[in-house]
Amino acid sequence: MISFLLNNTEVTFDGDPDTPLLWVVRDNFKLKGSKFGCGAGLCGACTMHLDGAAIKTCVLPVAAVAGKAVTTIEALGTPDAMHPLQTAWVEYNVPQCGYCQSGQIMAAAAMMANVPNPTDDDIDRAMTGNICRCGCYPRIREAILSVAASLAHEAVTGESTS
Amino acid sequence: MVVAVVLPGCSFNGALPIDADSADLIPNAFLQITPDNGVIFYCPADEMGQGIRTGLATLVGEELDYHPARMEVRSAGAHEAYNNPEYFIQLTGGSNAVRAFYEPLRQVGADTRALLLSAAATDLGIPATQLTTEDGHVVAGNRRYPYGDFVATAMDLDMPTETPLKPATDFRYIGQDFTRVDALVKSTGVAQFGIDIDLPGQLSAVVVRSPVPGAQPLSFDDSDVRSQPGVRHIVPISSGIAVVADSYWQANKAAQRLTVEWASNSLSQLDSAQVRADLEDAVAANNGVDAASEGDLDTAFNTAKSTLSATFFAPFLAHAPMEPVNATLRIDGDKAELWTGVQAIGVAQGLVARITGLPLENIRVHNQFLGGGFGRRGTLNHIIEVTEIAMAVEKPVQLLWSRENDLQNGLYRPASLMQLRAGIDDAGRVSAWQARRAGGDLTVETLRNSLPGLMPGMPSGMLDGLATGMDYLFKNWSVDPSSVEGLHETYSFPTYEIAHTSVDHGLPLTFWRSVGHSYTAFAVESMMDELAETAGIDPVSFRLNNLQGKPRMQRVVQRAGELMAAMTLPEGNHLGFAAHSSFFTDVAQIAEVSVNNGAIRVHKVTCVVDCGTAVNPDIVRAQLEGSVMFALTATLFGEIEIQDGAVVQSNFHNYPILRMDEAPAVEVEIIESTAPPTGIGEPGVPPLAPAVANAVYRATGSRLRDLPLRLA
Repeated sequence: MISFLLNNTEVTFDGDPDTPLLWVVRDNFKLKGSKFGCGAGLCGACTMHLDGAAIKTCVLPVAAVAGKAVTTIEALGTPDAMHPLQTAWVEYNVPQCGYCQSGQIMAAAAMMANVPNPTDDDIDRAMTGNICRCGCYPRIREAILSVAASLAHEAVTGESTS
Repeated sequence: MVVAVVLPGCSFNGALPIDADSADLIPNAFLQITPDNGVIFYCPADEMGQGIRTGLATLVGEELDYHPARMEVRSAGAHEAYNNPEYFIQLTGGSNAVRAFYEPLRQVGADTRALLLSAAATDLGIPATQLTTEDGHVVAGNRRYPYGDFVATAMDLDMPTETPLKPATDFRYIGQDFTRVDALVKSTGVAQFGIDIDLPGQLSAVVVRSPVPGAQPLSFDDSDVRSQPGVRHIVPISSGIAVVADSYWQANKAAQRLTVEWASNSLSQLDSAQVRADLEDAVAANNGVDAASEGDLDTAFNTAKSTLSATFFAPFLAHAPMEPVNATLRIDGDKAELWTGVQAIGVAQGLVARITGLPLENIRVHNQFLGGGFGRRGTLNHIIEVTEIAMAVEKPVQLLWSRENDLQNGLYRPASLMQLRAGIDDAGRVSAWQARRAGGDLTVETLRNSLPGLMPGMPSGMLDGLATGMDYLFKNWSVDPSSVEGLHETYSFPTYEIAHTSVDHGLPLTFWRSVGHSYTAFAVESMMDELAETAGIDPVSFRLNNLQGKPRMQRVVQRAGELMAAMTLPEGNHLGFAAHSSFFTDVAQIAEVSVNNGAIRVHKVTCVVDCGTAVNPDIVRAQLEGSVMFALTATLFGEIEIQDGAVVQSNFHNYPILRMDEAPAVEVEIIESTAPPTGIGEPGVPPLAPAVANAVYRATGSRLRDLPLRLA
């Protein structure tokens, strides 16, 4: 029996402890926003936060998250109350097929929590584990930079730009 | 291109697959208007990222006078009412949806608006001529009434037809940027893809297939599989052996323990070097089938000022959409429901009908968002597989391909060898042009895979005969247009000869974003760069010299040339130019490239495009951006290799996809136009590889004529 926090709720899983976190979240807890793309930790479609850090969950045994906090795209924001990155994703028309975007947004959100004003190099480093086959990279970069700019504006003026 | 095949009577024509409240107005197959003034649009093309739900909603919304961003857009079910007007089946491909639906869907909007106006006139007692509309409302003087108010009355009125369409000068939504209708759900993890379907009692299936495509199992040993956790069934099917378990992870893990002895087949001895050698032999034999010709080529070469020959190669490629193909099927008595994401849902419906023996009207197909298509989701072998499995296990089943299945058991862009020879005259024009292409044909194979679904009632022997007949035709008498498209059409060469030799190794082939253009443009536009240099003329002027009678492409090349002339480059960066017409759209690209220690880096790509009316300019820009990235992956990395008949590449470590740190900046300039819209999903792909190759030449002096580009 493995217990962990899933989107701030205590959950338990009593199946095979080798089962990757991705499949536990999708199959057992029915949260479908995190995607399967490669099963080998190579594409990032399955990215969630583990204690705040972006992590590829298609190769992470659920046993490894016992006692830890897992956050998925469903808890980052909702259509009615989006995370600033999600708002920017919509504003910049980032998604095309959309399949990789949960992972992209989770990777970007983990970076922004640590580096609220990222450089292009910071973005390259943080986002290079996430493949977008549709090639939305320029818009992903633009959306991240726009959030960084509005955060910086808020820090200076105390006013929100959104 | 996609060959239009007229197959009358092979689409479902029973009741519309729409579940609606009886108070809702359903004036036609595309629209549903609710009393609370909601509009649901049943989109007849499949959304795979190209923005088609937004684009087609815009066409309807323009004439209906209802903001497309407020519509609820749903995927249409399988029904002939949603047939693509050019293909006569439900098929999304060939970059034709906006172009082919441009008039029909505006007409749907205009007729529906006229119906609502007529109902409003009845209800309000005001002549329709004194009423107008504004974004979902009928306007009478200073009063506004939601369309929904007139739904009940409209139900009893005859549907107007041939209502006049707006002039382009009155467009409110066409030509405007606004948020994609699917941006919100795709930014919040809410968008539903085929893989997300989770039915009560659903089992998960994976299929173990031969590493050598098409090879059948001689025997298999599943004794070590059945005991694995969650495993419920082992089911031999036509394409391999299915392992069915409670979950995908269990099924996939258990499937690794299956040992199978596979038969050998005609592919078993094949490797990539052999493919290349066979293509070279085919071109050298010089006995190809004439695909197109004009003028007296011998005389033209004899009188040319100088001539040049070069040979170009493009490898097999996989599509690698981010969502591996999958399908979920529930057979319940004499009814079946299929959830998947495909580019041809009528074929999917027909395949389920054919295999189950159920009538078409008992089969509902729920097409989901496609997690990437690029041509891969037009061939539906996975629908055959899931149907065979679901019939055997008598439970709802989801079949999911692993990434390894996707790369190793999928369908491929054919490898191609192209030998070009050209002569130029004193004025710097191409006076003689000869192109020979050798490689596989994909149209027949795609058709062979689709016919069983298009004609579910026809015996398979007859269908095989039909496909084999067409195959024979293409190999001996005619040429599959997809095999040679783009080898000369961009330019107005006075004398040319295009010949083709089909070389079919038996690797499964299909359409891959931009199809034949994906390799022909590399050959043609690399050659044009070499010819410009031979002629001593800059690459832009040289192309303009050869575009007489092609005003649209002239303007695109001219404008791109102006942008290129104004560029200032950092030390060590070099520019390459290419232009190509495909899917009725003209695109020029300028690649800014540097080479360090043999590593090619593309910093920026500038695109100029004329696609007629840009229905949503921001989506046009997005498609160009995405096309650049898709094509750059193929240019720098893309290669499917064959060893002992099997595909070597297995996942993203050895079939790399361009990543954030390798992605160039992209700038897009759209030529202003009021001409009808043309394709945009694919035309940005073809010019990229030659633009990069031409820049690499300027950086290094090396002409790279093989894809992917590699410096020794």
